[in-house]
Amino acid sequence: MSALATGTRARSAPPGRTLLRLGPLRVPVRRRPVLVAAALTGLLVAAGVLSLSLGTPYVAPTDVLRALSGAGTPYDLVVLDLRLPRLVLAAVAGAAFGIAGTLIQSVARNPLASPDVIGITQGAGLAATIALTGGAAAVLVAPAALLGGLAAAALVLALGARHGLAAQRFVLAGVAVAFALRALIEVVLMTADPIDGMRAQIWLVGTLAGKGWTEAAWIAVTLLALLPVLLWAGWALNSTALDDDTARGIGVRPVARRIGLAGTGVLAAAMVTAQVGAVDFVSLVAPQLARRLVRAERPPLLCSALLGALLLVLADLAGRRLLAPTQLPAGVLTAAIGGPYLIFLLLRGRRRPS
Amino acid sequence: MLSTRDLVVGYDERTVLDGLDLELPADAFTVVVGPNACGKSTLLRTMARLLTPSRGAVLLDGTAIRDLPTREVAQRLGVLPQSPLVPEGVTVADLVGRGRQPYQRWWRQWSERDSAAVDEAMELADVAGLADRPVDTLSGGQRQRVWIAMTLAQDTEALLLDEPTTFLDLAHQVEVLDLLHRLRAERGRTVVAVLHDLNQAARYADHLIAMRSGRVVAAGPPREILTVELVRDVFGLDCVVVPCPVTGAPLVVPALTSPSLAASSVTSSLAAPARAASSITSSAGPPANGTL
Repeated sequence: MSALATGTRARSAPPGRTLLRLGPLRVPVRRRPVLVAAALTGLLVAAGVLSLSLGTPYVAPTDVLRALSGAGTPYDLVVLDLRLPRLVLAAVAGAAFGIAGTLIQSVARNPLASPDVIGITQGAGLAATIALTGGAAAVLVAPAALLGGLAAAALVLALGARHGLAAQRFVLAGVAVAFALRALIEVVLMTADPIDGMRAQIWLVGTLAGKGWTEAAWIAVTLLALLPVLLWAGWALNSTALDDDTARGIGVRPVARRIGLAGTGVLAAAMVTAQVGAVDFVSLVAPQLARRLVRAERPPLLCSALLGALLLVLADLAGRRLLAPTQLPAGVLTAAIGGPYLIFLLLRGRRRPS
Repeated sequence: MLSTRDLVVGYDERTVLDGLDLELPADAFTVVVGPNACGKSTLLRTMARLLTPSRGAVLLDGTAIRDLPTREVAQRLGVLPQSPLVPEGVTVADLVGRGRQPYQRWWRQWSERDSAAVDEAMELADVAGLADRPVDTLSGGQRQRVWIAMTLAQDTEALLLDEPTTFLDLAHQVEVLDLLHRLRAERGRTVVAVLHDLNQAARYADHLIAMRSGRVVAAGPPREILTVELVRDVFGLDCVVVPCPVTGAPLVVPALTSPSLAASSVTSSLAAPARAASSITSSAGPPANGTL
């Protein structure tokens, strides 16, 4: 058939979308995700200023902005050296969790598949626990955790790949590996010196306390290195909601695509978990929340990243302030707030027209 | 255009297709029929490269399909699997747009040609009025037309469909088959479908392929090959074949299998046409089955 046959009016974009043109780029975008992304960015900036402002001492938002602009204020030490690194880390780590969750959930076609459900967190946790209780130098903990997370993910992917990384098999393999690794972590903790065990426990819960530029830089560099892949992923994710036969019919190689997408998600998840520990409840909640906000059939990549950043910034802020001067780890807060909200979403259910 | 050469396909130990050589006529509506587990869906899925043959090849204009990049195949061959999964909440226009995937790249996700092809596909399949509706809110028949529109947006010479009418009520079955007929007649597309209903196959097919146990028993125009013998051979069913009162195509009516089916008052009204039918069939060629 001639696609330009008479009687069809030529449009430049699919219905309900605007075509974004940028050099050779042609990307159709819906209005809603753009608005949601803009709103989330605004909220993220506001939460960031709030996070830099609240605490002891309190710094007025206007002074925060002056300090940020480099005007030189008496608050420079508090705002720029103490609070800003942790804020940036929260934002970058949250974005990475959001991206990892989106990729893994889409491939697994399962809203509950997140790095800690499919074993990455436990792999990182086991390696970190061994490093912390075995007297390894502190600088080696994060690299060990990264390798542990990647090794666990490789095992899960290998087990799941035997049948083309079919969604259910992938999740089952992950759950099995996660349980086995969790048991091993317990064994290591019980046989360890109690003080080392405590340090490991804190790592396992996940916290941003005492962390900053170095950790943020590692995560940011990873995300930047993955950027070309993420641009591809934003498009490739469109076929993950189709079944394999239909996807093959339109010229997609679904298994190769799933391995590429899952591998990207695993890299992001392993790196961020290695840096901040198991704060990964964000990666479970952010994609599902973002999906509902933009009303799409699968989690959106950019909005999930922004929402992940916002959630982790707020969780860290709440952890610092709620029971001040006691500091709650961000991981506790994300679980405490995100859990009930996810339950609420699940209970509300999806509207299923007959 | 589409042909198979010495095609062997199996699952694990079981061989489903054993050395199949087949030539599908271009610009025709080909229908594959046969009893359950005869390998008809396996044949269609192998031709659509959803299954990999253990021996032999599927040829597209003389080139083995497995030697062609899958994107290129997708620009020449559209596939509608048996029960595709509807992504939750996706709209009709969105889903039809997925058919343009083989022409897109991540940096060029849309073009005017895509818009035109999607518009025309929705027009053809008569789903343009549903463009903004979520697919999971549509009826079975509408949904099937949306899936067909997606494969039409692919703008391919040939279209393979695996039991496109299963799960549809009779009116929607006719609607879908009429659409496929129009594609062939008005657009010159090559259409290949697996169907369950022998009479629908006879009504719509230009070329009928009857399969049993992984082999082709007969192939040709339905009016030439659809006989009492063929139905007995392929399905193991005794029947009479009469001309369809509407199209004149062969109409297969199962023979009386239980006397109580032709009981009391119904007997006379049924028996008369049956006798007439058997006389027609005998005069047309092979004699009707003795049980009548």
